Amino acid sequence: MLEIRSARKVFHRGQPDEKVALDGLDLKLATGEFAVVIGSNGAGKSSMLNAISGALVLDSGSIVINGDDVSGLPVYKRAVRLARVFQDPMKGTAASMTVAENMLLAELRATKRTLRQGLNVKRLADYKERLALLGLGLENRLNTRVDLLSGGQRQSLSLIMAVGGKPDLLLLDEHTAALDPRTADIVMQATVRAVDALKLTTLMVTHNMQHAVDFGHSVVMLDAGKVRLEISGQEKADVTVADLIGHFAVKTDRMLLAS
Amino acid sequence: MDFIQTTVESFISLIPVTLAQSLILSFVVLGIMIPFRTLNFPDLTSEGAFPLGGCVCGVLLAAGAGPLTAIAAALVAGFAAGCCTAIIHLRFRIHTLLAGILMLTMLYSVNLRIMGKSNLSVFGQPTVFDWAPFMRPGFPASKIVIAGLIALVVFLVLNFYFKTEKGTAIRAVGANPDMAEAQGINVWAATIGGIGLASAFSATSGALMVQSQGFADVNMGLGILINGLAALMIGEAIVGKQTVLRQLAAPFVGAVVYYQLVSVCLAAGMPPPDLKLATGLFVLIMLAAPTLGRSRGPLPERETIRE
Repeated sequence: MLEIRSARKVFHRGQPDEKVALDGLDLKLATGEFAVVIGSNGAGKSSMLNAISGALVLDSGSIVINGDDVSGLPVYKRAVRLARVFQDPMKGTAASMTVAENMLLAELRATKRTLRQGLNVKRLADYKERLALLGLGLENRLNTRVDLLSGGQRQSLSLIMAVGGKPDLLLLDEHTAALDPRTADIVMQATVRAVDALKLTTLMVTHNMQHAVDFGHSVVMLDAGKVRLEISGQEKADVTVADLIGHFAVKTDRMLLAS
Repeated sequence: MDFIQTTVESFISLIPVTLAQSLILSFVVLGIMIPFRTLNFPDLTSEGAFPLGGCVCGVLLAAGAGPLTAIAAALVAGFAAGCCTAIIHLRFRIHTLLAGILMLTMLYSVNLRIMGKSNLSVFGQPTVFDWAPFMRPGFPASKIVIAGLIALVVFLVLNFYFKTEKGTAIRAVGANPDMAEAQGINVWAATIGGIGLASAFSATSGALMVQSQGFADVNMGLGILINGLAALMIGEAIVGKQTVLRQLAAPFVGAVVYYQLVSVCLAAGMPPPDLKLATGLFVLIMLAAPTLGRSRGPLPERETIRE
């Protein structure tokens, strides 16, 4: 379960370029709920994800995951509870390390790292099995350095790394935006399969209105650092791309093109 | 003909001494490799940590401490120095190179304070090199055996460590700090510990050097960093750096080869004062090599040193 309570963050406070990124944002996500977050550029979507992951320290308000207030914890301590897939495929993986080593790092996200050998036969077999689910052939490239993979393969790897270990909260930050349509589709299908199978509490930011319509239990629209609209239940099931776009204060070409 | 013969003869006669020296200095190269390659933290602290280790060791030996105690103290002092550099960078957001320059400048005064004078003879004091089995103390062979054994142990331990769960996490911090943090790794702790460890190796090297040569000098670190970088690049050119094993072997192989090359140059009559210029040019050429063949198009954006 995730709860954001009146989160507030102002950048460049007191200066001419002062910007209110989060303006008393409230959001509640039930355990196992898959919410899609939309909103125009500058609406506060990234700030919200950064505030949840700990990369951004709030001016006031709190972040509660499964009943525990994590507002004061640094990124690496919150990582025990949450996993994140970034928009940039380069950001979520360690380029100079192998696929297997990256999988190992993700597996150890929530546990204490020991002085035992990291990669062993059992783990390699497990990684092979989990990567095979993607159908991208990554299972045969465990010892390949990640910088030799394509952007789509890296992003798929990031996803498998994130959903492994069943995090309390999964954050997807426009994770298919940098991919070509076919790869984006593969990654999106894999995401939905994993989220459904593991019943993960998920927050997915996207600019793709079709994704917002097709996936998730609810849609949250942010505007000027606040939740402008929340659609769930039957209303969510019936919503169309045109409905969603109608709610945007400023319609941009990008949204229309993306739909 | 005569020139070649004398050169070869004097080179061969120097091989044992040079080998002993290079094995001792291989720890500095290791102390340079870990920040530069493993942690992606270009660090100059070793230039100050090396004489720091030497000074601490020298003072303790002169005061009658055992050689192992002296090395252990040098190691701790070096670790502390490295931690300071890392903290200066992390806490105050100062560039790693500048943080290193600050530390090595301050360490010069610290080293002088520790010794109380600019150099100190510890000749005749017991050293770890006296403990080589079946050897006459003082002979280069005993230094080769002892320094070689320590190098072997350090190499094996590090090779094991960097493949453990903890070691993999440390390497991730160098590969992608943002990703490492998102995977629950404490980037500050890993960086401080890693840079501390590297400087500890540099200081240990200084301590061994003092025991080997019989005196400590505040200026003994002058230029050690560029020597170390040159050695590291030679090592990487020979054994590569694609795997943990190769990357760890590079400093040791590089140190041995580099100091033999220096020995050849000296044997061939190159004046010792020119050595730093030659080494600097060598490092420059090695760093510049990838961009030299480029005839058109813009230069790569990334700095060479971070690759």
